[in-house]
Amino acid sequence: MKKSEREGKTSGIGGKKVTRRSFLKGVGTVGLGLAATSALGNVASAQQRGPVKISLWTWENPQQRPWIDKRVKQYIEKNKNVQVDFQWFTFTDLGKKVAVGYATGTAPDGFSTGTWLMPTWLTRNMIAPLEVKQLGYASLDAFKKDYPEAFIAGAVKNDKLYGYPIWFYGFLNYLNTNHFKSAGLNPERDQPKTWEELGEIAKKLAIKKGDKFERQGFKFAMHAAMWTMIQFNPILRQCGGNWFDKEGKCTLNSEAGVRAMTIRASIIRKYRAEDPADTIATNPLPMMDFLQEKTAMFCTHVIPPPAVKSQNEKMAAGGYYLPVQMPGVDPNKRYATAYGFNFVINVNASKEKQEVLHDLYRFVMSDLIDCWKDTKPFTPARKSGWADDPQVKSFPNLDEIIRTRDTGVLLPETPVYNELADIVHQAVQKVTLNNADIKKTLDEATALVDKATEEFKSKKS
Amino acid sequence: MITIGRAQVSVIPWKLSYGFRIQLWGILFILPTILFFMVFKYGPMGWAIYLSFTGYDIVTEPKYIGLSNYIGIFQDPMFLQALNNTLVYIVGSTIAITVFGLGLALIIDTGIRGSRFFMSSMFLTNIMPILAVCLVWRFLFHPHGLVNQFLSPFGVGRIDWLTNSSLALPAIIIVTAWRFAPYFMVVFLAGLLAVPKEIYEAADIDGASRFSRFFHITLPMISPIVFFVVVVSALLCARIFLMPFIITGGGPGGATRVLSMLIYETGFSYLKMGRAAAISVVLFLIMMCFTVIQIRLFSKGEEY
Repeated sequence: MKKSEREGKTSGIGGKKVTRRSFLKGVGTVGLGLAATSALGNVASAQQRGPVKISLWTWENPQQRPWIDKRVKQYIEKNKNVQVDFQWFTFTDLGKKVAVGYATGTAPDGFSTGTWLMPTWLTRNMIAPLEVKQLGYASLDAFKKDYPEAFIAGAVKNDKLYGYPIWFYGFLNYLNTNHFKSAGLNPERDQPKTWEELGEIAKKLAIKKGDKFERQGFKFAMHAAMWTMIQFNPILRQCGGNWFDKEGKCTLNSEAGVRAMTIRASIIRKYRAEDPADTIATNPLPMMDFLQEKTAMFCTHVIPPPAVKSQNEKMAAGGYYLPVQMPGVDPNKRYATAYGFNFVINVNASKEKQEVLHDLYRFVMSDLIDCWKDTKPFTPARKSGWADDPQVKSFPNLDEIIRTRDTGVLLPETPVYNELADIVHQAVQKVTLNNADIKKTLDEATALVDKATEEFKSKKS
Repeated sequence: MITIGRAQVSVIPWKLSYGFRIQLWGILFILPTILFFMVFKYGPMGWAIYLSFTGYDIVTEPKYIGLSNYIGIFQDPMFLQALNNTLVYIVGSTIAITVFGLGLALIIDTGIRGSRFFMSSMFLTNIMPILAVCLVWRFLFHPHGLVNQFLSPFGVGRIDWLTNSSLALPAIIIVTAWRFAPYFMVVFLAGLLAVPKEIYEAADIDGASRFSRFFHITLPMISPIVFFVVVVSALLCARIFLMPFIITGGGPGGATRVLSMLIYETGFSYLKMGRAAAISVVLFLIMMCFTVIQIRLFSKGEEY
């Protein structure tokens, strides 16, 4: 017989008699404990769990990946029971690695993904919905208000959130202010507001000797399908076009599509201010032609000052570059493609791992000032909690950078995005490098996209 | 009948012959190798053939769809373009490798001064990392790169080697020949050294010219080597991936996209693993046909 049973009337923990004082003391302790738990939030809940090992994959980038790495390490320090197997791959390889991981059962529990790949994961039910409350928001509406519209359009489906945003940014037109001045132009006042203006100004800025450009006026990226899409997307939209109609049929060969491709090719064909075959851009550094001053203008995402310095110390020291909004078909409607990166959770991850990943993601993105310090000028996707900070505000041209993020349009949402991008990239190559007929090329491209979509729908491949 | 403890075990009299037992031992010894090949080679091949009859997006379970993938690829302009590119590349590269490899071997076989150094330095192209080779050639073929600069004194204008759709594939063939011809040069050289000198001496006495010596003695004598080089280089070229992938990325407009690149893109980028498997089966069949044709062709003309 146990002691408590022997003692009969007494009740309490460990056989101790519960007095009124001890009861109140106990309630107070529990109350304090609960309060502390509530204050520490999810971090504390993670500490209380048993050992959890999660895998997290992301893409490599000189600034962004080290910052995520740093934050993950800080999280592990605070949550000794959590182990994170953090791995990273090149930008282009990450999506493929993740897909293969799903096939072989080795996919990570969580990974970061480009916003343009969200339909790929979503249509195949590969990622799990996220709990906005666990991410620190009272409701989905509260969450939606804190992020740019274009981001929300890609991450929220059927009133469920699938991606926790990290960075989100738009493209800008970078001008070499020295080149502008040497051509008698004022970069602020004479910045191209329309594509026609861009062509005319590029023509003025270009310097050609024989068949060789000493300096190209403007340059479109030619090195990767992704960049082709980012640069062509706003032109198509500005021309009133779209990638797909309501039935999901590709409309690239529409009148607007032909007009957009004509604009895309005009810098070469009409204004002769660009040589599409002459580039020193590489996948890691697509803006190399601009940084090496081989082109006077180039549309790109924000260029971090260390990247400028590493390629052109003179340019970095002189600061003779200026990011402005991309041109528009209508000078009052200048916008670019906006895209970003989300943290997502593998649908196959256990409930416990999913909870830890919520904690981890929330922790990683909980200090946006630190994020900005380490990764500027890549803009966090969240609107609140960083842009008003004096350290952030002092960054040159911040307003332009944030504006292009907030007015940007998303890349086309389709489960066959990779095919679409390759097909459009090839079409652009045919038009710009081989002077192919625009309408015929777009007809061919449209047929290929429709075929890919049809095959996806019928699941026959 | 033998009794071991409570169990009774019946013993079958040993009826196997000595020769058969030896064969069994042989099979037993090579069993690990057979198993290795079954698991890591023929198993995946069989799996790929099975997948080619399914719709498989990597994530969900493969679904049997019959011949749809095969019908689909032959209606796909991207596949037909890649197939054409692959065949042109195989034929072009095989000819280039064979001609340049044999030419280099003949030069070295003359025993001219410095030929050993020449042979060693040429062979370096084969041991250089492929990535470095591709990146260097990308710069060499730049519109204002060294190749065009070298050609300009001869009145040759700017050539867009890698961005002109009719020149990009020949440019890749040049790089392929540059890389692999020296390797096959060594193979040819071994064949040339094996040709008995007496035959040449007899030909000299008969007053044979260098030209007729080559076509009537050297070439027939090394025909098995030529056959070997053609077969091996054709098979090597059929599987080419990295060169077009790094140098041109398959562009411009798909002009250098070969089947292996299409397989990779279809499987891992478009997540159409069933379609990718069907293309790989077609590539496998092409290689098989190519090998059979070559074997038949060369076996007819083989001298010894």
